[in-house]
Amino acid sequence: MEALRAEHLSKHYGAGATLVRALTDVSLRLESGAVCALLGPSGSGKSTLVKALGLVSLPDAGRIWMGGRLVVDGDAALGSLDVLRRRHLGFVFQKANLIPFLSARKNVELACEIGGVEPPRRRTDELLAYLELAHRADAMPTELSGGEQQRVAVARALANRPAILLADEPTAALDRERGRAVMELFARVAHEQGTAVLVVTHDHRTLDLFDLSYEMEDGRLKA
Amino acid sequence: MNLAFEEVRHGVGRFAATTAGIGLLFTVVLAMAGIYNGLVDDATILLRSLHADVWVVQQGTRGPFADTSRLDVSVESRVAAVAGVRRARGLSYQVLQREAGRGNLRFALVGLPWPECRDDAPPLVAGRGLEQAHGELVADASLGLSVGAKVSLAREEFTVVGLTRQLLASSGDAVVLATLADAQLVLADLPADAVRTERERRAERLRATDLGRGQPSLEGLLADPEWRPPALATPPIVAVLVEADDPARIGEIRAALAAWPDVSVFAAAEEERLLLDGVVEKPRRQLALFAAILLVTSSVLIGAIVYARTLDKTHTIAVLKLMGAPRRRIAGMVLQQSWAMGALGYAIAVAVGAQAFPHFPRRVVLDLVTIGAVGAIVLAVSTAASLLGVRYALRVDPGQALEG
Repeated sequence: MEALRAEHLSKHYGAGATLVRALTDVSLRLESGAVCALLGPSGSGKSTLVKALGLVSLPDAGRIWMGGRLVVDGDAALGSLDVLRRRHLGFVFQKANLIPFLSARKNVELACEIGGVEPPRRRTDELLAYLELAHRADAMPTELSGGEQQRVAVARALANRPAILLADEPTAALDRERGRAVMELFARVAHEQGTAVLVVTHDHRTLDLFDLSYEMEDGRLKA
Repeated sequence: MNLAFEEVRHGVGRFAATTAGIGLLFTVVLAMAGIYNGLVDDATILLRSLHADVWVVQQGTRGPFADTSRLDVSVESRVAAVAGVRRARGLSYQVLQREAGRGNLRFALVGLPWPECRDDAPPLVAGRGLEQAHGELVADASLGLSVGAKVSLAREEFTVVGLTRQLLASSGDAVVLATLADAQLVLADLPADAVRTERERRAERLRATDLGRGQPSLEGLLADPEWRPPALATPPIVAVLVEADDPARIGEIRAALAAWPDVSVFAAAEEERLLLDGVVEKPRRQLALFAAILLVTSSVLIGAIVYARTLDKTHTIAVLKLMGAPRRRIAGMVLQQSWAMGALGYAIAVAVGAQAFPHFPRRVVLDLVTIGAVGAIVLAVSTAASLLGVRYALRVDPGQALEG
């Protein structure tokens, strides 16, 4: 089933001599339950694409569908961005970006609350158990290892049962072994939860874990 | 989940330390409000304790507390003869400062007519009222005198026989009650040299007249204790307090007295208003200005703290926005912290005030209405102070969460 479709996305910054074409006619499709890698050198437009797909920075042109519904047409969102993100998307960042004054459990529980998941406590326990973090539930972010923090971040991203999970270089801050473990986790989430996962990565050593990979270069996408 | 509470709980020490500083500022604001209340209370407490229906003062003045008033003692008996007057009492009032031990004893000496003052004793906390025509004082406890203490005034020794509590003049000075005669004795007290000089001046003036030059024996009369006129006239009184035998006749009495050319007449409520408008008005405005400056300072301080805390949370706010957190939740996090800071600061102010205010030299009167009113102002100040932080939080770009 199609979770996300983007067609002919374009985005540019600046004008005249300083014009930068960050995205040029980018089209892609993510299926539910598939884990997809987005590769490319720095400055190739990966982050711009993730921001566009994540409804953080809208494209100048193109269209985006989520769950079969048109949500972006040209440079306009068809609905509240907050609501669309809450309903369709989950994010995992380069760093875990956990809220520093909340325990692991409360980080996830907050995401459940924001996502309107009822009851948030049960969903939190479910996710922490699924990601093998139940024993670390009450630990504060500073008490967690880098790998544990990223797992909590994944749990938080899944809290609202998103159809699409966008991960922007989620293993950049981890060593090779922990990085691979996190990638395996994404594959597991995609296959077991039916979530469409798009992971931005530089690490070609984990490509075997992905169902599909795209490569970006100079703002263009190559399958 | 309340994010503001969770963040405060996580860094409770830092929050408490910051809030304690705010609390001390609010303590001063609360003190200003309490001092104003005390000012009004002090200004009226003596006036009310004298239970006069009508005040008769010097013509054209607004005395005796708001203005200087001098009446001849004869006015008292003239007023007493007016129809409908149950009682007329002369009153003297003067603020004195005398050395006592290692410090100064400053008080308002109020002279009440004898023997009526025996029945008019204000509520006492120790000792008894004035029971002798001479040599006794009833003092306010805030002077630190005890029953039996001796006070030297006008080269006479007076004994404190009773103590009142919170009987203060409009200036905030403690009131000391004496018989009118004793109070006038103090008022008329002059050094012997000054009396002698005045007598010599009189003799000089007599010698300068034809009568004095023609009848030198008149000069002898000035020195004769039997004929000698006093060096000074009888000290005046400041007001006559009138009590009507029927409250319904107060207007009638007032109208009768108002026709006299040498006095001004005020009803008790008017006298109180005069006092508040005159004596209290400037300090009230002064206190209000101080309080306003402090509130603005508090507001700026809370605003700066809340803004700094919001800046610290930029990344967290971006993450929350990316997760789709509604704007009201993000604004609420900032606003609630500001409220918490204001509320906790104010609670500290009330607690510190309860301990500290009784030791202030001027009375600080805090009632529930004042505490509630200042609390409402603090809430408004906290809300206003958070606006910059809220504005910043709402403008945070969720894309910052993706930027490392």
